[in-house]
Amino acid sequence: MRLELRGITKRFGSFTANDQISITVEPGQIHCLLGENGAGKSTLMNVLFGLLHPDEGEILINGDAVKFENSGEAVRRGIGMVHQHFMLVPVFTVTENVVLGFEPTKSINRVDYKKATDDIRRVSKEFNLDVDPDAVVENLPVGLQQRVEILKSLSHDAELLILDEPTAVLTPQEIDALMNIMRSLAEAGKSILFITHKLKEVKAVADVITIIRQGRVVGTAQPTDTEGELASLMVGRDVNLTVEKSTFTPGEEVFEIRDLVVRDDRGLIAVNGVSLDVRAGEILALAGVQGNGQTELVEAIAGMRHVESGTITLRGRDITNESPRQVLDAGLGHIPEDRHRDGLVLSMSVADNLVLNTPRRTPFARHGSRNLTAVRQNAEQLVKEFDIRTTSIFEDASSLSGGNQQKVIVARELSRPLEFLMASQPTRGLDVGSIEYVHKQIVDHRNKGNAALIVSSELDEVLALGDRIAVMYAGKISGIVDPSTSREAIGLLMTGTTSEVARA
Amino acid sequence: MELVSVASATPTSTEVTAAASGRTRAVGAIMIAIGLFTGLVFAMGASSAAHSGLTFNPVNLSNAPWHVGDLTVVTRWVNAVIALLMVVLGLEVIIRSPRRAVMVRFGVVAVLFLFALLFWVVRTPGPSPVPVINFTAVLIGSSEVAMVLIFGALSGVMCERSGVVNIAIEGQFIGGAFIGTMLASTTHSFIFAAVGGAAIGGLLGLLLAFLSLRYLSDQIIVGVVLVTMIGSFSSYLNLQVFTPFPQFNTGTLAPNLAIPLISKIPIIGPVFFDQSGFFYFMLILVGVVSFALFKTRYGLHVRAVGEHPRAAATVGINVVRVRYINVVLGGAIAGVGGVAFMASQGQFQPGYTSGLGYIALAAMIFGRWRPSGAVVASVLFGLSVYLSQNLQTYNVPVSTYILNMFPYIITIAVVSGLIGRVRAPAADGIPYHRE
Repeated sequence: MRLELRGITKRFGSFTANDQISITVEPGQIHCLLGENGAGKSTLMNVLFGLLHPDEGEILINGDAVKFENSGEAVRRGIGMVHQHFMLVPVFTVTENVVLGFEPTKSINRVDYKKATDDIRRVSKEFNLDVDPDAVVENLPVGLQQRVEILKSLSHDAELLILDEPTAVLTPQEIDALMNIMRSLAEAGKSILFITHKLKEVKAVADVITIIRQGRVVGTAQPTDTEGELASLMVGRDVNLTVEKSTFTPGEEVFEIRDLVVRDDRGLIAVNGVSLDVRAGEILALAGVQGNGQTELVEAIAGMRHVESGTITLRGRDITNESPRQVLDAGLGHIPEDRHRDGLVLSMSVADNLVLNTPRRTPFARHGSRNLTAVRQNAEQLVKEFDIRTTSIFEDASSLSGGNQQKVIVARELSRPLEFLMASQPTRGLDVGSIEYVHKQIVDHRNKGNAALIVSSELDEVLALGDRIAVMYAGKISGIVDPSTSREAIGLLMTGTTSEVARA
Repeated sequence: MELVSVASATPTSTEVTAAASGRTRAVGAIMIAIGLFTGLVFAMGASSAAHSGLTFNPVNLSNAPWHVGDLTVVTRWVNAVIALLMVVLGLEVIIRSPRRAVMVRFGVVAVLFLFALLFWVVRTPGPSPVPVINFTAVLIGSSEVAMVLIFGALSGVMCERSGVVNIAIEGQFIGGAFIGTMLASTTHSFIFAAVGGAAIGGLLGLLLAFLSLRYLSDQIIVGVVLVTMIGSFSSYLNLQVFTPFPQFNTGTLAPNLAIPLISKIPIIGPVFFDQSGFFYFMLILVGVVSFALFKTRYGLHVRAVGEHPRAAATVGINVVRVRYINVVLGGAIAGVGGVAFMASQGQFQPGYTSGLGYIALAAMIFGRWRPSGAVVASVLFGLSVYLSQNLQTYNVPVSTYILNMFPYIITIAVVSGLIGRVRAPAADGIPYHRE
C-alpha cells in the first residue's frame, strides 16, 4: 500500500499537536517516525487510524483520499495498528482476540471458531509468528502478546502496519526477533510505519526516517547517519549521549538486602530470595524486563509492600517491614516508578508536592500546624535550583509537563539529607533534555559519595549510570556484571540465561 | 527464520496452580467446618428421641394422582448423615483439588446445611411426631423465589458483561410489579403484564444507561438513586391510585400451566412441570442468554466491551451502543422478573420485594457472571429466602433475621476470595471515555 499524509494538522484547544505534517510511505518500505515523547507522533497515528479527526489535511491510500469515522473503517481499508498498550482482551483466547470485530459466522450469528482458528494457523505460519490460537492471552509473555497484535492486523488483511513504540516492553532478544518479523513483512510487500524514540532501532531497521519535533516534520535522515546526528535532529540541539562520571571509588556498605521474598498483588511470589548490597559512592543499576519483580522489590524497600521473609538494612538499621514514614525518616530517598500514582498528588500545588514527605517536620510545620511561609520559601528555592518550569509554585502539579513533574520529585528527594537514593524508571516518558538533567542529578549525588539503586528497564540507562549492573529475571538476580559487559550478554541474563558466557 | 525464544515475565503455570489449589483447599476446609457444625449442633444437639416428619403431598391435590407416604426420621441420625456427607465432600475437594465445579460442591453443602437446619427446626420430642414439613411445598415455594432471583441475576449478567453495574435491579422489580398488577388487573392477561413490565424495566435501564454512558456518572450511585426513587414513587402511586381504585390492583396469581404427563411425576413434576408461564419463560431465557453471550458474535462483542472497551473500539465496535443495548435488555429482563414476582404474590404492595433485587445481584456474583452459575446460586438463595420467610410457622428458635443474612454472608465469602476466586469483567463499572 502507498500511504500519503498531506498537511495533517490537529489542534487541541490552543495547542497544535500536529502542524502541517506530510509523509509518504511506499509499499514494502519500513518508514520510521522518530521523535521525542510529546513530539506528536501518537496524535498523528491516532489521526491515521481513525481514532482522532484531523482539523486540516488529507489521507491518501493508493492515491485515493479517504476519511475514517472510526478505527474500524481504517482497518477495513487495510491499516493495522500495534498499540503501545496492547489492545488485547486478557481473558480471551488468541482466536477470540484476533477475530473480534471481524468474526466469520455460521447460522444464527454464531462465531465460526473452527474457521477462525484455521485462518490464524495459516497466517501465523505464513509470517513465522509461531502463535498458538487456543492460548489465553493473559498467560502469554509480552513478546508473544505483541505478535498476537501483529497477527490480528495481518488477519484483517492489513497492507500497512503501524507499530507504536513496540520495543518498550521487550528484551533485547525479543527486539531482534521483532526486527526480523518487520523485515520479512516488508519483503512480503507490507508497508510499515515504525514509531520510536530509540535511535539504535531506527538505524537497525529503517529504510526511510522522518523526524518530527513539536508537531512538525523537521527533516528526513538516512539509517546510515550517526546516532548523534539523529539525536540532535530529534531534540533540536546537540545532545550529549554519555553521562560524565567521576572515577568509581566505592566506600563502605550502606544498604543491604538479604534473601528477600515478596509477593505480588495476586499472592504469587514476585521477589524470590534476592540479595543485593550498595556501597557509598556507588550506583547499582537493576536491569530487567518489566514484570520480573522489580516493582515489588522497590515497593518492599520503600515500606509499601509486606516482606514475607529476608531483611533490608540501611546504615546498619533493620528497616524490614517498617512503614514508609519510618523508612523515609531512616534516610531513604525514593523516586517512584509511576510518578502520577506514587510520586505526586496531581491536584495539589507544586509547593505542597515539594514537601509531600516532610510536611510534619520543622520548619514546614510547628505544633501540628503548617508553616506556609517556610513551604513557600522552600518551593521558590527548589524551583530555581532544579530549574522546574512552572508559571507559579501554586500551580497544580498536573499542569506541569512530564519532565517538570519528574524534576519536582527529584528536587524533593535530593533536597533533604539522604542516606540512600532509590530511583525506579527515573526517566520513563521524558524528553532527552530532561533525561540528561535527571541523569546528571543522580550522578552528582553519587559523585558526592552517596549510594544509589537505579531500577530501569532501559538498557541504555542501565549502562550509562551503573557502576555495577544487577539483572533481575523471574524474581531472582540472574547475574551481577560490570558495565563494560556486552549488551548481548546482559540481554541473555534478562531472559534468565546464567551461562558462563553471560557471566564473563 | 529462527526466532529466539521469548522471556516469560508471567508467573509459571505451576505457581498459579499452587495458588489456586491453596484456595481450593480453603474451600474444602470451610465445607468440613460447616459439616462439623451441622454434626455438633443439628445432629448431636437434637435429643436421641427427637423425630422429624416429612410429607410429600403436592400443594394442588387435584393435579396429583400419586401419593408418596409420609416419612418420619430420627433427627439426630438424618442430620448426622448429612453432616458426614458434607465432610466427605469437603475432604474430596481438599484431596482431589478438582479444577471445576468447586463452587457447585460448595453450593450443595450450603443447600444440605439449610435442609439440616430444617430437620432440626421441625423436630418433635416424641417418637411419633405429626408430620410437619411438606417437602414438595418447600421446593415449590423456593422455586418461585429462585425464579425471580434468576430473572434478576440474568439482568445483572447482561449489564455487567457489557461493563455497566446494574444495582437498580430492585427498582426494576418494583416498577415491573407495579405496572404488572395494573395491566393484569385491567386486561386479565399476563402476557400484556409481562410486556408492560419489560417496557418499564427497559425504560429504567435506559435511564441508568443514559446517565452513566452520556454523563459518565458513577453507576452505583445512579443505581441506588433509581431504586430509592422508584420505591418512593411506587408507594406514592399506591396511595394515590390503588387505594382509591382497588380494581387496578386485583392482580391475581398467574395460572399454572401443567405440562401433560411429566407434571404427574411425584415431587419433580409439580416443582418443574406445573408452574406458571413465567417459570418456563425464565428457563428459556437462561438458555438464550447463555447461548447469545458465549456462542454468538454479539456475545463476543459484549464480553470484549466489558473486559477491554478500548480494544473493542479499535476494531470498530461501538462500545456505547453495545452498552445501551445490554443495559436496556437487562432492565427489561428484570422488569419481567418484577411481573413474575407480582404474579406469584397476587398483588402489588409497596416495598414487598424486600431486597430480592440485591440478592439477585449476589446470586450473579456467586454464579461468576454466568447464566448457569446464576441459576445454581439462585436455587440456593431461593431456598434460604423461602425458609427465612416461612420458618416462623414452625416456631423456630433461630431468628429469621439471621437466616436473612445468609445470601449476603455467602456473597461476602465469595467476593473476599474466601471461597474460590471470582473475577468480574475487567471494565465492570468503569465509565468509558471516548478519546
